[in-house]
Amino acid sequence: MRAILTQLNKVQGVRGSMVINRDGIVVAGEFADDVNEQGIGAVASSLLTALDGAVKRINLGRMTRFVLTGNENKAVIVDTGPALLFVLLQRDTNMGLVNVEIRDAAKQVVEQAKM
Amino acid sequence: MGLFDFLFGASGKIKNLEAQLRVRPTPQLYLQLADAYKESGNMQKAAQILKLGVSRFPSAPEISRRQAEAEKVERENEKRRLTDKIQTHPNPILYARLAELYKADAEIEKTIQICQAGIKAFPKYGGTYLVLGQIYIEKQKWDEALSQLEKSVELDKYNYMALKLLAQVYMQVGRPADAARKLEDILYFAPGDEAILELLKKAREAAGVPTAAPADQSQISREAAISGGRRAVDGTSPNRKTIMVGRLADQKAGTATSMRDKALNDGIASLRGVEGVHGAILVDQFGLVVAANLDATIDEGLAGALITNVYRTASGNSVKLGVGNFEEGVIEGESGNVHIVQFGDMILAVFAATNVKMGLLEKTIRDFSMAVQERH
Repeated sequence: MRAILTQLNKVQGVRGSMVINRDGIVVAGEFADDVNEQGIGAVASSLLTALDGAVKRINLGRMTRFVLTGNENKAVIVDTGPALLFVLLQRDTNMGLVNVEIRDAAKQVVEQAKM
Repeated sequence: MGLFDFLFGASGKIKNLEAQLRVRPTPQLYLQLADAYKESGNMQKAAQILKLGVSRFPSAPEISRRQAEAEKVERENEKRRLTDKIQTHPNPILYARLAELYKADAEIEKTIQICQAGIKAFPKYGGTYLVLGQIYIEKQKWDEALSQLEKSVELDKYNYMALKLLAQVYMQVGRPADAARKLEDILYFAPGDEAILELLKKAREAAGVPTAAPADQSQISREAAISGGRRAVDGTSPNRKTIMVGRLADQKAGTATSMRDKALNDGIASLRGVEGVHGAILVDQFGLVVAANLDATIDEGLAGALITNVYRTASGNSVKLGVGNFEEGVIEGESGNVHIVQFGDMILAVFAATNVKMGLLEKTIRDFSMAVQERH
């Protein structure tokens, strides 16, 4: 898992990333700055559960991804199925480029989780 | 101070402080950055930084004190703006917002007076009854609170705050079964809300109802099922349904819509014009729909409640996730996306297909936002 995150973190604009299990427990994390990984894991997991319920109610099917933009940074939470992939990005990151890398990393997380 | 320092000193200092904050945030750095913005004349940004600092360091006294001062100044400016607007283009949201501001300053009598004026002018708006209900809760006048909150919920069955407060008042007056029903209603549009599930557990225990009873049997879900069934039986086509901002005000006072209201309506319509967009909705801070352009199959009240709940959840956690104050969120589902954007004191949500041109949609949202700000 750590190798997947290290590779993802090399992409322009990525400030760090982590893999969280569905209970919010951190499986692996790699961040450039000092962040509260456990806190982020717990919040990301409960946020995704709440959003998933709302998305189903609007008839949009299962929730796959949430992109959150704040006045400081951007965050992407991907529901890979067995785990969540959290990516912290610079606010002005070119999402077109990063999306491809995040999708690849999410696929690798699924593969790793099967092992 | 040299010319170079005069021109570049402030921005250099701001950039330096922002870089330090990104690496290792401290209350002192937030204060210094707020001061730097204040010195550069950007009071709004200074206030934002203080707010962010407080959310990161809620127990740091100096930053809390400074933020409270900044908020007080902001409230006074907003009170003046709203009072003027009520004179020229009255609408029920303005009354509720003004009452909220006086309530925040603990000016209880003034709050009640504004709520009563708002209710007299616009008796069909639930938000004002909600503010009045909150005042009576603070005063522990349970019967009065009950009457105001029941009215608010009667007018807006999807109002999270009104339903939650009503349930709490029902518990206070010894009606736990009624409290449980209202909490079940909330879970219909806020599924999995942990605070509500906890309250529901307590209400069911007090009412002697099994705590494991399904939470999705609320009055709201039954009504939604009936309404959906009726639509299927009638074979009603999914026609477009539009709610225009300013409509209530026009009917009541016979006045023309303001430039800003026109910008809101035009913006919602322009979003709907983007290929792949299924609908757009603008809700106020109480979760009430301000303007909407949705397929007729979508209940705008329910959509408003869901969006408000999603916004509340996302914005409440954005600092903890390391992104700062919430500005925008995109929820991607298997069969469509929802774009949620902070729009001043409102929330804009756009429902779109998965293949929508994101660049075009974001540009349309940006244009809409600028048009509203220009007419603010």
